[in-house]
Amino acid sequence: MNRTTILMIMLLASTTLFANDFITQFIQKYSEEDRPLNNVNIGKKMLDKMAANTQDEELQNTFKELHSIRIVNSDNAKDSRYYFEKANELIETEFGDYEEVVSVNEKLSRISVWMKKDKDKRQEIILISLDENSQLSIITVSGKIDFSTISKLSGTLKNEPDLTEDQPEDSGK
Amino acid sequence: MTAKEEIHIQDLLKRYWDCQTTLAEEQELRDFFSSDHLPTSWQHYAPLFSYIRDEQSVALSEDFDERLKVAMEQEKKGNQKYITIRIFTPLLRIAASLLLIVGMGISIFFITRQNNKPWFVETYDDPHAAIKDATYALQVLSHALQTTEEASLQTIRVIDDLNINWTALDSLMAEEITADSLAALTQEEDSLDDIGEFISDHKQHEEI
Repeated sequence: MNRTTILMIMLLASTTLFANDFITQFIQKYSEEDRPLNNVNIGKKMLDKMAANTQDEELQNTFKELHSIRIVNSDNAKDSRYYFEKANELIETEFGDYEEVVSVNEKLSRISVWMKKDKDKRQEIILISLDENSQLSIITVSGKIDFSTISKLSGTLKNEPDLTEDQPEDSGK
Repeated sequence: MTAKEEIHIQDLLKRYWDCQTTLAEEQELRDFFSSDHLPTSWQHYAPLFSYIRDEQSVALSEDFDERLKVAMEQEKKGNQKYITIRIFTPLLRIAASLLLIVGMGISIFFITRQNNKPWFVETYDDPHAAIKDATYALQVLSHALQTTEEASLQTIRVIDDLNINWTALDSLMAEEITADSLAALTQEEDSLDDIGEFISDHKQHEEI
């Protein structure tokens, strides 16, 4: 009986350990009720649907290769600064297997991009940014990511009328 | 029935109730009470003695021995099965443990394959709504990459403009670099100051 209990606890502990990706862990650890955060999750099925609905071939291919996109942001400047520090703290302490690939420190904005490459060529990217309006954005993207395509996407996204008509920040909660 | 016989039966009955009768006397009583011409006053005893007679006449059936043998063999076989299970009990324990471990392994494997997101809940049902956030995420990522790319190109251009003698710098790197020897490497004296300024400016501006 005792052995069974210990085994069950070990199993639960191991699943919890494996279960936590950056955003899940960040929300669980640091999210506070009086500092609201917006969270958007887009999974593989939705990305495939989006790929099917997109006319642009480059964007279509990018969506097809991705596995998930998760976004966390905060509208409040003070909260954003607080969460920005916490996100950096979390990635440095708990996500040692991620490597910092981009770090932009400008006068009013800071962006860092962290990456982990799995054996099956699936990549995990974590972007932590504090923009010029002191608004926090944490974005995680997983899947087969082609950096050169994504860096070229900016122009495509701006030219896509359906995608840029509304402010994306307003739609997720 | 004579009075003598009647007295005799009465005496036998009395001794029967006192449990003093012999087997022969009991048989005599049974024979008497099974006869057809019983006096009315004794007829109520008849069922008792007929019951005893009937019960004593019960005998084993002809195939009793055979049935007993079969039952005993089956019992033996049953015991043999039980012994087999007992012999394999340690093996069964090991097999159960292995099954549990394999089960745990498979569970963990599938959980990790779910992109580590057991609490991942889709925000949108409509791809048209989701696409705005997806493109926003890619835009931010794209912007970060472009900024880095531009900064890298700018850095390379500035370094090219400095006209540094890289061959001499490389050979010197093998030795111990001092501030004086580094100054001698640059073709123009001002170049060193330019490098210093550039590095300090760009350290604040961006890290690649």
